[in-house]
Amino acid sequence: MGFMATSIIFFAAGLIASLLVRLCFNRGASTNLFHLTLIITATVCCWMMWAIVYLAQLKPLIVPILSEAE
Amino acid sequence: MKFFDDLAPMDHFRSEDMSLVQLIMPVESAQLAVSYLGEIGLLQFKDLNEEKSPFQRTFVNQVKRCGEMSRKLRFFADQISKAGVTTYPDSASEEVIDLEQLEIRLSEHEVELLEMNRNSEKLQQTYNELLEFKLVLLKAGRFLGSAQNHAVMAETELVENNYSMKDEDGLSLLEQSIQPEPSNMAGLRFISGIICQSKELTFERMLFRATRGNMFFNQAPAGEQVMDPVSGEKVHKTVFVVFFSGEQAKSKILKICQAFGASCYPVPEENNKQKQLAHEVSLRLSELEVTLDAGMRHRNKALASIGSQLWNWTIMVKKEKAVYDTLNMLNFDVTKKCLVGEGWCPTFAKPQIKEALHHATIHSNSQVGIIFHDMDSSESPPTYFRTNRFTNAFQEIVDAYGVARFQEANPAVYSVITFPFLFAVMFGDWGHGLCLLLGSLVLILHEKKLGSQKLGSFMEMAYGGRYVLLLMALFSIYCGLLYNEFFSVPFYIFGESAYKCRNADCSDVHTVGLIKYRDPYPFGVDPKWRGSRSELPFLNSLKMKMSILLGVSQMNLGIILSYFDAKFHANPLDIQYQFIPQMIFLNSLFGYLALLIVIKWCTGSQADLYHVMIYMFLEPFGNLGENQLFWGQKELQVTLCIHLLYREMDVFSMCSTTEILLLVLVIIEVCLILYADIIIDSGHSGSSLDAFSKTIYLEETTDRGRTYGILGTSEMDVDHEPDSARHQHHEDFNFSEVFVHQMIHSIEFVLGAVSNTASYLRLWALSLAHSELSTVFYEKLLLLAWGYDSIVIRITGLVVFAFATAFVLLMMETLSALLHALRLHWVEFMGKFYHGDGYKFKPFSFKLLADEED
Repeated sequence: MGFMATSIIFFAAGLIASLLVRLCFNRGASTNLFHLTLIITATVCCWMMWAIVYLAQLKPLIVPILSEAE
Repeated sequence: MKFFDDLAPMDHFRSEDMSLVQLIMPVESAQLAVSYLGEIGLLQFKDLNEEKSPFQRTFVNQVKRCGEMSRKLRFFADQISKAGVTTYPDSASEEVIDLEQLEIRLSEHEVELLEMNRNSEKLQQTYNELLEFKLVLLKAGRFLGSAQNHAVMAETELVENNYSMKDEDGLSLLEQSIQPEPSNMAGLRFISGIICQSKELTFERMLFRATRGNMFFNQAPAGEQVMDPVSGEKVHKTVFVVFFSGEQAKSKILKICQAFGASCYPVPEENNKQKQLAHEVSLRLSELEVTLDAGMRHRNKALASIGSQLWNWTIMVKKEKAVYDTLNMLNFDVTKKCLVGEGWCPTFAKPQIKEALHHATIHSNSQVGIIFHDMDSSESPPTYFRTNRFTNAFQEIVDAYGVARFQEANPAVYSVITFPFLFAVMFGDWGHGLCLLLGSLVLILHEKKLGSQKLGSFMEMAYGGRYVLLLMALFSIYCGLLYNEFFSVPFYIFGESAYKCRNADCSDVHTVGLIKYRDPYPFGVDPKWRGSRSELPFLNSLKMKMSILLGVSQMNLGIILSYFDAKFHANPLDIQYQFIPQMIFLNSLFGYLALLIVIKWCTGSQADLYHVMIYMFLEPFGNLGENQLFWGQKELQVTLCIHLLYREMDVFSMCSTTEILLLVLVIIEVCLILYADIIIDSGHSGSSLDAFSKTIYLEETTDRGRTYGILGTSEMDVDHEPDSARHQHHEDFNFSEVFVHQMIHSIEFVLGAVSNTASYLRLWALSLAHSELSTVFYEKLLLLAWGYDSIVIRITGLVVFAFATAFVLLMMETLSALLHALRLHWVEFMGKFYHGDGYKFKPFSFKLLADEED
């Protein structure tokens, strides 16, 4: 799938997670904000990691050269 | 920006609002009030009597009494454990007794117990002696008896016996020698006794030497183990009989016996007398046994009854001692009828505290209520975060570096996610992640059981960090899926690889390699890379660039948090002349590098980023060494730079104009950070002292950091307020101090930017190490062992692989990655905005006391 499509999936997952947390663990405005911060941080971290690994393989400068062994 | 202002304040982001309160309590309700406050546990008392020694304080006698009572309780606990009595804490009978009554009862019990112990000791001693006597009678009787059978029976008291044990011929000779010379038999006597088996040999030798060989020694092991009175243990003893002649010999032998701790018991010669004596002794022994048993049962019963109450009493005494220690921190007021105390409490807890004080007034039947009111303070309050069991571990991690200053941004909010995430970047293997997940789930599911037990120090740490472990495991599984490593084995979970052979027969895969024919592998590293010869160059490049990108993002987050801090403390200086220059500096260098990395990946360009970055600096930077004057000259600097740099333009391969501008910005911002604060500060000194009630923040610069002082005005009579917290701070603007401080700060930031970014490369280094170790164990242990046909070798290989994975990878690597992730947080992330020079809120709480003791 393309870069954009997967990024949108990550974004949507973050949205759904924050909604779920708001529904299940609703404990007042400040705590909700805290939970939201955690979800956003986690989503951004995970997305960044995936994006880095994906982009690095987009137009690679070297290719796998198999070894003789097997 | 307005959007951020409208949001509710985030939980855990800043420490709780605290207020300095003053309590004025009448003496009769003071003790009750303090103990109720201890139950709530939300007030930290200030010690108003700091200069007084412990013996000058008011309630020193009560503290001494409590100390005495706890000593007695410890003595009881000791006795109970020595006697091996198991006690059942009797929670049913919660008799509420007063402290004085408890004291009386404790001393009664102690006296009783001591007496019982003394008596039983005496009885035990007598018992031992009798036992020894019995043994001596038994064994020595046999020696003497067998000797008599060979000798002539004489009816006199002094029976002379010559006895020789083994030599039968010798025996008859001796016998013969006896009869014709009865006069020689007079004076041959014996001493019988018992001695420790270990000392027996030396004893014999000593006797031999002392009597110059004129003695005969016979011994036999006692057979039973007897309690040695000195050591209190059961030892093997030997019964001995020494035959000698003469008075001097006797006294010598007796002295030697005394020296060696041998006990001598007189044994009568005649058989029937021996038997009679033995019978008597046995009778007495059995009597004593009965008495001893009865005594022990009585004592155990007493101990059991004490033991059932011991826990309650211990807690009561501890609480009372704590209450008196706290009361010692209070002061008497002028009229000597009230106690005055000061303390910090969270603002949200004030109603609770008021209620507790109200209860205390009622329960102590006092006429006067307790006065409780706010005070102004000029020192900074303690830091208090209300954590639950999940956020507690992360807050402790941050506090280990330094407790947050009062109401500064708390990095724990972000560390909850970024710390396990950075750990996972270094640990990435979803097989190992699954093992960690299992471990953490075990700890979490047995939370209640493990929480009440006393654990060893390692388990204690693991238990305390169970939620951290859980998050670390989850992120490790995610990163492991991205790196495509399951115990270093790649899988094709997310579809087909993006690489295939160039030709149909795959002839040149070992020379030229595969070719990419479709979109990249959708999630993670393509599985075809594992085991290839160009795997390391590719992965190294990927991981190094990843480290730089992650590092730049985290450092930017740190600087942005410093912006929010400056905004919260209404510090425009910091925003303009610290935040903005820092942002621009970091991003024009390393943000630019990050941008270049992403552009290179997206376009597939072959430009060498090292070359680009270095040459951005190589030519232009050298000339600005001496331009260190007044910052108003920045326009001149810019012009100079542009003129100089335009000459070198042809060296750059990409975006040269952008680079020049960025470089110029870098230099400007460095100077800004260096000098602006000084100039602005010197302009501000003196004008910010207007009395705008409590919310003025003065900046005092010290060499460690800045302390904020809240100045306020309030009319309390100042005469009898000893040691109150409302000092007046005078600020004096010291140019050299500020200059040095700013210089240090700016140099630290500038040089730190480079070193911190490079420091993030440890993410690459550790993940490489982990993956290599994993590969080695897999290939050289498991695959090697699996290659053989024998089942024994296979099982051995599997076992060794499991142990190696568990100890090296799961334990050592976990600790290692944990440590490095921690360091990245503490130094690189928190160094950008965190001061961490506050002090923790330690309220007077019985619950905390109990935790401390255990």
